[in-house]
This record gives sequence, C-alpha cells and structure tokens, in this order.
Amino acid sequence: MTLVGVAVGAALAIVAVFVPWLPDSASEQADIIDNVYWVVTIICVVVFAVVAGVSAYAVYKFRAPPGDTDDGSPIHGHTGLEIVWTLIPTILVTGIAVYSGVALAQAEELPADHSVIEVTGEQFAWTFTYPDVEVEGGRPLTTGELVVPIDRTIRFEITSKDVIHSFWVPEWRMKQDAVEGITTHTTVTPTQLGTFPVVCTELCGLGHALMRSRARVVSREDFDAWVREQQRLAREGGAVQGAELFAQQCGSCHVLADAGTEGEAGPNLDEALQGADAEFIMESIVNPSAEIAEGYQDGVMPANFGEMFTDPQLEGLVEYLQQATGGGAR
Amino acid sequence: MAVEVPEAHEVEHVPPQAPPPRRGLRRLTGAGWLRVLWVLPVSWVLATLLVIGLRAALGYEPLWEFQVLIVAWTVIVPLGFLAALGGFDYWLYWISGRPTRPEDHSGHGARTWKDYFRVNTDHKVIGIQYVVTTVFFFLAAGLMAMFMRAELARPGMQYVDTNTFNGLFSVHASLMIFLFIIPAFAGLGNYVIPLMIGAPDMAFPRLNALSFWLLPIAGLIMMSSYLVPDGGAFAAGWTNYVPLAVNQADGNLMFQMGVQWAGASSIMTALNFLVTIITMRAPGMSFWRMPLLVWANFATSTLVVLATPFVAGSQFFIMFDRVLHTNFFNPELGGDIVAYQHIFWFYSHPAVYIMMLPGFGIASEVISVFARKPIFGYRLMALSLMAILILGFSVWAHHMFVSGMQPWIRIPMMVTTLVIAVPTGIKVFSWLATLWEGRLHFATPMLFASGFVSMFVIGGLSGIYLGSVPVDIHASDTYFVVAHIHYVLFGGSLFTIFAGIYYWFPKMTGRMYDERLGKIHFWLTFVGFNVTFFPMHWVGLQGMPRRVADYAPEFGNWNLVISIASFGLGASTVVFLYNMIVSWRRGPIAPGNPWRALTLEWQVSSPPPIFNFEEIPQVVGSPYEYGTRGARHAVLNGKPAETGKAPEPVEAIHS
Repeated sequence: MTLVGVAVGAALAIVAVFVPWLPDSASEQADIIDNVYWVVTIICVVVFAVVAGVSAYAVYKFRAPPGDTDDGSPIHGHTGLEIVWTLIPTILVTGIAVYSGVALAQAEELPADHSVIEVTGEQFAWTFTYPDVEVEGGRPLTTGELVVPIDRTIRFEITSKDVIHSFWVPEWRMKQDAVEGITTHTTVTPTQLGTFPVVCTELCGLGHALMRSRARVVSREDFDAWVREQQRLAREGGAVQGAELFAQQCGSCHVLADAGTEGEAGPNLDEALQGADAEFIMESIVNPSAEIAEGYQDGVMPANFGEMFTDPQLEGLVEYLQQATGGGAR
Repeated sequence: MAVEVPEAHEVEHVPPQAPPPRRGLRRLTGAGWLRVLWVLPVSWVLATLLVIGLRAALGYEPLWEFQVLIVAWTVIVPLGFLAALGGFDYWLYWISGRPTRPEDHSGHGARTWKDYFRVNTDHKVIGIQYVVTTVFFFLAAGLMAMFMRAELARPGMQYVDTNTFNGLFSVHASLMIFLFIIPAFAGLGNYVIPLMIGAPDMAFPRLNALSFWLLPIAGLIMMSSYLVPDGGAFAAGWTNYVPLAVNQADGNLMFQMGVQWAGASSIMTALNFLVTIITMRAPGMSFWRMPLLVWANFATSTLVVLATPFVAGSQFFIMFDRVLHTNFFNPELGGDIVAYQHIFWFYSHPAVYIMMLPGFGIASEVISVFARKPIFGYRLMALSLMAILILGFSVWAHHMFVSGMQPWIRIPMMVTTLVIAVPTGIKVFSWLATLWEGRLHFATPMLFASGFVSMFVIGGLSGIYLGSVPVDIHASDTYFVVAHIHYVLFGGSLFTIFAGIYYWFPKMTGRMYDERLGKIHFWLTFVGFNVTFFPMHWVGLQGMPRRVADYAPEFGNWNLVISIASFGLGASTVVFLYNMIVSWRRGPIAPGNPWRALTLEWQVSSPPPIFNFEEIPQVVGSPYEYGTRGARHAVLNGKPAETGKAPEPVEAIHS
C-alpha cells in the first residue's frame, strides 16, 4: 500500500506538470491566463506532494502490527508547527490572489484602438454583428460564423434574447455569459490564424450541446476580402449564392447531397425537403417550429435565420434548396 | 481491554406507558399508515377542489391549471400525509386543549421493524431512518448517473433525448445534494450527537421525528417529476438558473417545491442540533471537551439555519414568476436575472460547507481512534471550523465570475475564496500530524477517512484554480468544474459518510460488518472514483462544457474511459449494500466498544439502551486522551470508562 501511495503520488506529479493541460493558446489573453494557470499548478503540485509524501511515509512507518493494542504518542499539538502551516498557506494564497488580480487587469485591458463585435445568444445559435460594417439596406453585417482579423483587439459586447448562454472559445480562454437585459463584455486579441470552436457553456435548454459555432481568425487582407464578399452576398440573391450560404450556415447540421454536407443534428434535407415547394422551404427556415421532421425535437434549430439573412439571401437559399432537392420549377 | 458495558438485552426496553391499541374502525383514526391510506386521497381531492373552486370563484380560465395544481398538491398532500402519520398529533392535542402526556414515551424506541415506519421520537431510530432513506436516494441518484455515463460513452446521441438527459443530471444532483449528502450527515449526527454529549435524546424529539418525515416527501416530489406530463423532470440543473427555469415545462415546479420540504427538514434538524448541543451536554462537558464531530455539527447547523432560507426564497421567487406571473426575474419588466444567482449562491456556497464540515468531524473521530493518538491541535481544529463558517458566507460570488455581475466584486470574492484555503489547510495538516507516531489500524473506516484526506486535498487544490479569476474565466462551466465538485462531494463528503457508516455500524446495529468486504468496497471505490473523475479535469480544460448530452468527437476516447470506470464505481456500491444487509442480519454480535474509543457513545452497549445512559455520565477530560495511561473522558455509573494506554517507547517504533 505504501508503494501504491508513492507511485500514485509520483504519477500524479508527472501528469500535473508534463501533460498539455490547456489547448493551444491563440490570443494575448490566453498567454496571460496560462501563466497564472502554471504558477497555480506548480504551487498545488508541491502542496500535494508534501501531503502525499507525509501520508505515504506515515502509513509505512506507523502502521500497527496485527493485534496491537497499544496507543501512539500522546502528542496534543505543536504551536510552532501550527503557526508554520497557517502562515505558509496564507502567504501562498495571498501571492496567488495578487498575481491573479494583476493578470486579470492585464487580460481585460482595452486599447483605444479596437474593434467592436456584438454577440447575441439565443436558443440555440450565436449571431455576430459587425456594427462598423454596413451591408445592403443600411444594416450592419450579421453572420452566424465569427470571422476576425488577427492581432487586433476585439471588444465583444454580449447579450441574449432569451435564457443565459455563455460565449467561449477555448483557445482564446476568455468566457462571458450572455444575459438578457444587460450587455456584458469581454476582450480578445487573437494571435493565431485558424478556425476555433465557439462553445456555449451555460445550460440553455434542449439544444445546449449543439450550440456550437466557429471562430475563424484570418489575416487583415483576408478579413477585408471576406467583408466585401459578405456585402456582395447580401446584395445578390440567386441559387449560386444560396449554395455558398448553405455550405457556410446550414451544412454543419444537415445532410444535403448536392452540397456534399454531412451534419446529422438536423433532418436529412434530401429526404425532408424532397419535392417541397418554395413556401414550405421558406417557412422551414424562418419558422423552424412550424413542422418538425419525424424523429427530431422542436427547439433545436435556431429561429434567427429570418433576421440574420437579408431578403435576397433568403430567396437565394430557397431557390437553391428547391433545385437541389428536386422540388418545384427545375 | 474494553471496559465492561451492559449488553443490549440487559436493558429495559418496555415503554413506560404503552397506550391501549385501537380496535375495529377506530384503527382508521389513529396515527399511522391506515390513516394515511384514506387521508392521502382525501387531501388530494381537497387540494384539487380548493384550486378549482378558487379559480371558478375568481373567474380564471382554464379551471384545470396544472402549474397551480402542482403547487397545491405538493403543499397540501404532504401536510395531510404528515398529519395522518401522526407528526402533529401531540401539538394539535395541546393546541386544542385536549389532555396530553408530555412524558409519553410510547412513540420512543424500536421493538420491531414496524417501529421504523412510524413517527418515532427516539433519536437512534430517527438516525437509522435517516441513513437508510438517504442511502435509498443515493442509489436512485447513482443510477441516474449510470444512465448519463451510458449516453456520454460515445459522442452523438444514443439512448436518451436531450430533454431526458438534462432531467437526469438535474435530478441526480438535486437528490445527491438535498436527499443524500446533507441528510445523511444529519442522520449520522442524529444518532451520535446525543450519545457523544451524554444526553438521553435530542432537545426536541417530536420536532426531530417530524424533520425526518419531511425527507421522503422531498425526495418523492423530486423523483416523481419524471411523471409530469409534457416535458417530464425538471431539467435546468440543480442550480435552476432563470430564465431557463421560468420557461421550462411544469416539471420544474417539482424542484422548487421539493427543495422547500428538504430545506424545512434541514432547518428543523439544525435548530434541534444547536439547542441540544448548547443545553444538553453532560456535566463536565465544556465546549473545549466536546468531540470534534459535535463541534462540526455545531458549525454546520449554524450555517444551515442562517443560509437555507435563501435557497427557499430563491425557489419561491421562481414559483411566483411561474404561477403568480410576478416579474422578479423578467428583465423586460424590470426583473433581474443575475440577482437570482446571488440569492441562490448565498445559500449554495455555504451549502458546500454544510456538506463538508460534518465529514471533517467524522474524519477527526475516525483518524484519532484508529491512529490511537489525540487529535493534533484540537483547539485550532475547532476554531478553523468556526473560521470556515464565517468565511463561508463571504465567497458566494466566486460561482459568478463570468455571470455579468459588477466586475469589481470579483476581486474581494477571489481573496476570501483563496483565504478559506487556510483554515481548510490547517485541518488537513492536523490530520496528517495526528497520523505521525501513531499506531495506525487500517480498518474500513480508517481507509475511507484517509482516502478522504488525500481526495479532498485534490478537490481543495482544484478549488484554488477556480478561485483565481483569470483561470476560472477559462475553466468555469466546463468538465473541470464537474471534476472539482466530485472530488469535493464524492472524495470528500461521500468518503466520510462511508467512513461514518462503517465506524458506527456496530453501534447502530449491534453487529459487526464484514471487514474483508469493507476493504474490497474501499479499493473499488477509490480506484473507480479516481479513474472516473480525474480525466474530467483534462477534458474540461481542453474545451468540453458541462451539462451536455453530446460533445465534440475529440473527447470521445476519454469519455469512454470515464464511462467504463464509472460503471465499476457503480458496481462497488453492490459490495457495500451486500455487506450492510447481510451483516445487519447475520453479522457477529458487536461488543460495546469494538474500536477501544474514548468518546461516550462507545461506553454504552451496542445498540445503546433506550435512553442511552442509565445515569447521566460525568465528563472529566478530553475525548482524545489516547496514549496517556489512565486518562479518561468520562465516568459512567460510577465505573471508569475506556482509558488511554501508555505508548511503547518511541525507539521501539522506529527500530
């Protein structure tokens, strides 16, 4: 049992220090938080090693032989020791508190030169609005996929239309609840190109587990190009744009052979929309609760597509879906 | 050698004044299950008629409004049940001026198994009622965890839909917290505290009996929420955050009403503990001579009395928003969503200590007895309990670092949260120092108590991560938190509950449990627990949120490992149950003091006489004087109790 204790202690120490506990860091804030994490980890491993070591030694050394009826030493306490193990933890936790406070201030520091993106949570989707980017009809650009330029500090202004959600990109570390009635904030400066998951971490109902989206970090040039592309898509309707839109926004949950998508959270559209007319398809997009395919739950598909897409986009999407599933005018 | 104590059969067990049994139809009006049988449907009809009548009189449509009916049923039917079982008889007689017998002991003690199924005023019967009932809810909630782990073994949806899954983890947590951990400690305390302080019973035996019978009501309300039509069980987590809780189907009311009954039970028991501990200690039992278990329950009861009304209030507000259409949590009409979390956590953080401090007490008793040493730093151990009690009220918002509350609150809450590690650390180091130069006996209670110390340290240390605001921003609401709470509540609370059950099993049942099966149970639990919960730290930090039925495929392998280990953990419970049931029926007869302990409960027979002590003991010293020749805690019936022994010379141990 002693050997087991020592082995477990040693294994845990190795696990604690050498395992890559955190996902890759992809923001300035993540670097700051990771430093705090590792400082806390080192302190905790030392404390655990002391406790595990003393326990293992005591179990080995002071184990009574079978049938032993004697008592141990009548030691009632030791003031010096008690002061030591009150003071040292006090110093350690004070240090952690001060360091954490400083790190928090650094992570939340907002340079004057930053961009704002509004994040709206609703059951069960994220909507990202770029107040500085105007599209067709004078409205700000709104998407379901988060695209941000690298190395620029973004202030996310977060709110919810219904229950509480929580906006989190693990690689960025920063997390903030979305609460109806108030606007909450978080600050992120992405430092790595790539695509990262956006995860809802606050239980928000039936579709909570599926409330995932993507955050794409791109170069400044690619970001500008993406903005122009979004503006063009919002302006033009038509089946070609509909196909692009489908791949971006719908494919992660729906199978559609024509688009080559394989999402399984929602019904297979090759079957569900086979031969459907434009009116039914439009209704299914704008008001997904109107008719629920057999074997699927109401309330999982986001109800915000009607607001997110411009009218030309919606018409283009319907036209495309009608073609792809063989309904109506071909 | 154990001091001779009277065996159970030598003690008078006949109640002083047995009332004449009722005959014929009059049996239907006497307190008991026959009366319950007809009062239950009658009170159900009354509740229904009350709602429908009032709605008809006030002109509300529809008359059959399910939410309002649930509230009426979950208030009136349980009250009817309690009245029919006899929970209020004495007080109602007294209020109505009918003759009462204050010294009526007819409802005291158990002579047959039937006496465990009625309103019994004996704290020893109530303690066993508590423990058995809570173990039942532990098994039910554990089974729900097994269903969850089956669903989570692979990514994607396999066995249940998301609504069922959300119900499973919500009911699992609510039962484990409100119907297992909190009342299991209350049950062990109920059995042991009067014995430990040399009292014949609790201060308010009838209140004690009533507080037990509220528990099955709370549990059955929560479990029957699965049967609510259209939506099933409450599924917003045990935290029941608004607005989700307000928007949910009718089943959510079953949580709000169930919590009221469990909370009322907790408060009654806590008041009873406080008055008993303050006023009924045997002569010579000063506060500084109380065993640490009594100190721990003193601190816990204070927490319960001060904090529990807040959770009751938070759930009442949700109920009002749902049923009376108030707007406490409706932001469109001036309500405040974040305010709910403040009220909820103002109870539910202290609740973590309500679920932990009695375990600290059990660990102190067990470690001292099985190390054959005085508990190290007794006074600081007691004072650190009081420090945790006070600090415990100043840390609630550390559950809300990402909730959108005012940012500045995070800093003071972080500081108090981290500082609470200091008194907790004092306790851990003192337990370790108690082992030092002891003579350690690893019977099952000691295995669980030392398992508790090491597992609780891991839970405490992961609490430091979550206390640090920057780290919490990343780890909050992920599986890291699931790992943390299970290291605290399973590795901490449950391990000490097991330690307590094994430790006092001989006292409660008069029989010994099977030591070999106890050890198998411990090792299966210890290994299964760590393989189940340790990897959760990693998947959480990597990005797996909590409370999901489906997850990103990259977490699939670890979740499979976790699920397999959790089934092993579930299976270990079978060993425990088998041991308990078989040993209770056929185990070897237990002596009065099998552990050679000094505290008072071990100085009487197993099980103890009906009023605990033939005469009130005289306490003459500390409860932990192991190692001092002739030192004793108390004198009973003019005879000395178990005494300490002089240790062998220290060199002999080191050689």
